[in-house]
Amino acid sequence: MAEPYIMLVSSLPYLPPFEQAERSPITRLRLEQRLHNLDTDDARQLAEAEALVSWRMSLAKPKTDAEMVLRSRAAMQHISQPALREFIEFRIDQQVILAGLRQRNAGADASALEPITAASRWVRYMTAHWEDPTFKLTAIYPWIAQAHRYLDSNNAGALDSLMMHVIWQRLGRITENNRFGFEAVFAFVFKWDILQAWLARDAAQAKSRFQDLIKEIKNDS
Amino acid sequence: MDSLILILGWVGLYAPLALGAIGSMIGCVRAGSAACGALLEVESGYGRYIGVAAMPSSQTIYGIVVTMALRRELTLENSPGIFGLGLLAGLALLFGAIAQGDSCAASINVSKSKLDIFGISLAPAALVEGFCVFAFVFALVLAAGIPK
Repeated sequence: MAEPYIMLVSSLPYLPPFEQAERSPITRLRLEQRLHNLDTDDARQLAEAEALVSWRMSLAKPKTDAEMVLRSRAAMQHISQPALREFIEFRIDQQVILAGLRQRNAGADASALEPITAASRWVRYMTAHWEDPTFKLTAIYPWIAQAHRYLDSNNAGALDSLMMHVIWQRLGRITENNRFGFEAVFAFVFKWDILQAWLARDAAQAKSRFQDLIKEIKNDS
Repeated sequence: MDSLILILGWVGLYAPLALGAIGSMIGCVRAGSAACGALLEVESGYGRYIGVAAMPSSQTIYGIVVTMALRRELTLENSPGIFGLGLLAGLALLFGAIAQGDSCAASINVSKSKLDIFGISLAPAALVEGFCVFAFVFALVLAAGIPK
């Protein structure tokens, strides 16, 4: 059956665009309950992918780039779903490009990317075009120019938002290919993860603002 | 050779009902699965979703009527006509029911979070139903021209 997850997909709530969301439409617990309907192998692949490329990695983040490369290569050997593999590769490419932009911004030379050469097909290409602001990759990744500008202006918030947008759009396209298949399920999970990260980011801002207000009140009294 | 022609006649006679029923089963399972999933997400209006999930069952009814219209003593003269008409009508009903099941599943999936689009989201399923009705009506019209 080409669309094995009709019931599962229909049991998932609508996810609004993350910037417009005021609250998460589903808790992690409830999402996990719904995901029990996944085939065992699909569930395993999704868990591996989540640990590797979700916005908020559920496992402990690797300490070094080399460790990250090793982990991603090991995980990719066990992931057979083509759409999921493609998405993971896209996310790793995205992270590698951002790493390159950051390294260059910090004044490093092209050799800084050496430890992650095996992570992405673009590392050698980026090394060869190190001096170009966008590594001559804008035709494939149009967001690089904007990311470069945000990094230059130290606007980490806008950069995060841009990256979330890029992933969100990618996941939207993946869902269009198979609305009731595994693609729709994993796209939902990764979108939900982004939405959670966005909401948590707002929560952090609110907490900081709240603490500032407390300080202000204390100073007044 | 004569036996083969008569066998084809029997195949054509039962094809609209059998293929229509197979299509309805697949269509209802797809739409029904979507309805079951949606029931977990909505607080009310359960009957609406289950009702939509039953839409692809109409093709079985059309199949019954076409089979009844084709029913006659099978001869070497009428068997080829019954085979062609019955098989093609059955295939139209089979694919129509599956397509309608998918349309209904999509409609249920989108309308669970936005109830006001429930009616309009059923338009594709209604269009598919229209095509099935065309296949059904013209099968009846042409069946009248097959020798008794």
